[in-house]
Amino acid sequence: MRAIPTLKIGISGVRGVVGDSLTPVLLARFAQAFGTYVGGGRVVIGRDPRTSGEMVWQAVVAGLLSTGCRIVDLGVCPTPTVQLLVRRLEAHGGIAVTASHNPPEWNALKFVGADGLFLSAERGRELLDIYHQGDYVKAEGARMRPVEARPDAVDVHVGAILEALGPLPAARRPLRVVLDACNGAGSTAGPRLLEALGAETIAINATPDGSFPRPAEPAPENLAALCEAVRAHGADAGFAQDMDADRLAVVAETGEPVGEEYTLVLAASHVLATTPGTVVTNLATTHALDAVAARAGCRVVRSKVGEAHVAGAMLRERAVIGGEGNGGVIYPRVNFARDSLVGMALVLHLVAAARRPVSGIVAALPPVHLVKRQVPCPSDRIGAVLARLRREHAGDRVDASDGVKVWTGDGWFLVRPSNTEPIVRLVAEAGSDEAAERLAASVAGRIAGWLDASPAR
Amino acid sequence: MQPLKIGIGGVRGLVGQTFTPELAAGFAQAFATYLDGGRVLVCRDTRPSGPMVTAAVTAGLLAAGCEVVDLGIVPTPTLQLAVPWLDARGGVAVTAGHNPAGWNALKFVRADGLYLNHVQAEELLDVYHQGEFIKATWDRIARAVARRDDVVAHHLEALARAVDVEAVRARRLRVAVDCTNGACAALVPRWLTALGCDVVAINDDLAAPFPHDPEPRPDTMPQAAAVVRASGADIGFVHDADGERLGLVDETGRALSEELTLALAAAIRLERRAGPVVTNVSTTGAIEAIAARHGAPVVRTPVGQAYISEAILEHGAVIGGEGNGGVAVPEVQATHDSAAAIGLLLEHLATSGRPLSALVAELPALVMTKTHVAVAPDVIYSTLGEFRRAVEDERGVEVDTTDGVKIVWPDGWVHVRASNTESMIRIIAEAGSRARAAALADWARDRLRR
Repeated sequence: MRAIPTLKIGISGVRGVVGDSLTPVLLARFAQAFGTYVGGGRVVIGRDPRTSGEMVWQAVVAGLLSTGCRIVDLGVCPTPTVQLLVRRLEAHGGIAVTASHNPPEWNALKFVGADGLFLSAERGRELLDIYHQGDYVKAEGARMRPVEARPDAVDVHVGAILEALGPLPAARRPLRVVLDACNGAGSTAGPRLLEALGAETIAINATPDGSFPRPAEPAPENLAALCEAVRAHGADAGFAQDMDADRLAVVAETGEPVGEEYTLVLAASHVLATTPGTVVTNLATTHALDAVAARAGCRVVRSKVGEAHVAGAMLRERAVIGGEGNGGVIYPRVNFARDSLVGMALVLHLVAAARRPVSGIVAALPPVHLVKRQVPCPSDRIGAVLARLRREHAGDRVDASDGVKVWTGDGWFLVRPSNTEPIVRLVAEAGSDEAAERLAASVAGRIAGWLDASPAR
Repeated sequence: MQPLKIGIGGVRGLVGQTFTPELAAGFAQAFATYLDGGRVLVCRDTRPSGPMVTAAVTAGLLAAGCEVVDLGIVPTPTLQLAVPWLDARGGVAVTAGHNPAGWNALKFVRADGLYLNHVQAEELLDVYHQGEFIKATWDRIARAVARRDDVVAHHLEALARAVDVEAVRARRLRVAVDCTNGACAALVPRWLTALGCDVVAINDDLAAPFPHDPEPRPDTMPQAAAVVRASGADIGFVHDADGERLGLVDETGRALSEELTLALAAAIRLERRAGPVVTNVSTTGAIEAIAARHGAPVVRTPVGQAYISEAILEHGAVIGGEGNGGVAVPEVQATHDSAAAIGLLLEHLATSGRPLSALVAELPALVMTKTHVAVAPDVIYSTLGEFRRAVEDERGVEVDTTDGVKIVWPDGWVHVRASNTESMIRIIAEAGSRARAAALADWARDRLRR
């Protein structure tokens, strides 16, 4: 296998390793390209607290100012806060400086359009063309404008959520919640929201200093400290954010992680109970969501994987709720962004209304039996693998809009190429954990067999 | 070709054309690599491109593993004093000094607070061109920029130590000052207040644009002159954007040539204590005449502050500076510092009890003309080379090639050199009369055009 690249420039932005490929000149050029793309207008920027954030932020500021942009700086804040403020301030775009769940040596620029959504593939391609052409707008030095700071951005965000959902209903005993912010961008915003909702809040890993107290991905295996704290405090729920606070995982009052796949299902069941409407999610997300929607007489629309695709489809479908199975909840009354703050508010409202513990609510939901695998596959063989899957499943129901998704007896599987590593990503869901495992193992085995039978040249 | 000057004076260009964020970040990385990391102070003047350039410089310094301390908007000499005080390894001043608002520049300061000398500047340039910079990994990179807001107070303390503050306070001089809405607005009004002056400040708004070219010359000083007359001030001061050059208005409201700032400072200084005077080859010959009254030697250097600073230290000079209004008072620091020059002048006014015009009247009567010929950057040095060959055989003159070409006649001189900061050849001539000075300048201009 070739060395894992330390720089990824693509339609979803630029991502790289600090101290290696992610240099200030490269970053300033990308910011210049974006400033050129938005015509030197108003741009909202924010960042997560990783150690390289200040350097990257400075390079981005230099690049944007040089194209004549007016910068509104939110400082360290969740990525969804940047997206919200772009719309609130009617800015021409935004840049979130964050490598989200990637390890600490990485950082990245994520580009937001005037609609508050991440740039779509087409617009990402236009930005990339401008970057490569290198012919950036150059504002006259005498006409540049100073950076405007908005330290109240998190309050605006919390206010928007309260306005949409209101505080939790008054109760004899307020809900007690433990939040694990991963020392990330949600360290300030998370507790502020929970207290505004009226929850009793215990925050752990809430020092936004760029240290990674655990891997940033809020997967069950990374949440031991949170689970322990939920038990120790007798909390009603635990919440875990990733480094830029777009993704959310829930821990039940028993101290058991309920799994990221459930976050959207929980949020959707609350939204549909009060405001029925269309649900949008990606092809890879659990079909338990379809069952929840069906109970409310609502439909589910599936998009390609990626926040920009889901949010775009939500706009088109006028969806009431959407998101992705990795813990990303999108609630359009607040924001067209994966937003862990919104996710927490929806889940707590659900718990308050249900008058049941989280474990009880989850037990009453349609079960999720879903497994995710990575299968090694050289990048020049991915096309052949996907073509063979389509051929062999010509008689089955297949969706080939993003990789190949195949419906089988009581389940389904999806095979998609990775855009960063020589692997394919495999998701399988079935009637039981064992059945899902069997399905995944069988697909992975077939792919490995095809690759062995005709090894790479 | 578009204007960009990379040389001993740092990196200077027009923002929106040649002076890009990549250039600034790249030079900052090179400087950080040259220093091998460590603490670096950054300051800027008030021009609108300052935040852009400062951000690019900060990104470059951080990426190369430096600890960055941001001083905000302060005069360059304030940063220069703070570098050794704060044990920094160097400093970067983001300022194009006297250039118009569209320009910006990086000036590189070493650990002792002085500018890189020409050898160090060449080494820095080599590092930049080689393009192999230190890269700090995520666990080494500084996660925040430190800020200091006490460096102006530190500068004020150093200034006060070099002046008889009580004597000046006792006189309660009325002083007009034009800060050009530049970085001096953060320092000079406080300094004048500390000296007990009745201060009439104009253009002292850090957020406002330059009201005129930030280069103190009689043609940029009519506003200050009018304020001196209207307020009956004892003296008027006019600043550049970053606190190096100082222009003077006497108590009659006459704007003095910027050449006289150093001449007056030297006359005052040598009166108290005779010793070597350092200036560049282009500065008025009045310096020699003043020094001769006190039996003091004059050391002439190439044009550029780094040369002045090094010569001050080498010769133990009592005063140094250049004909552009830059004065270095070694008790404060061996680099141009307009606030230090102000202290010297006010102390003289207070203790002598004589008006500034009286001191001016005692200076030798010389007339200087400064003109320039715009020359494309690619032929500046060949043009100068041809000029040198053309004048070498001239009879009855002395030719000095310390910096450019200076031709000295018994009754005057003309100096022809490439600008350090712009794409032009400067012609400076001086003689006992305006007609003779103009004739010498024309003589040089004719030979440049051949």
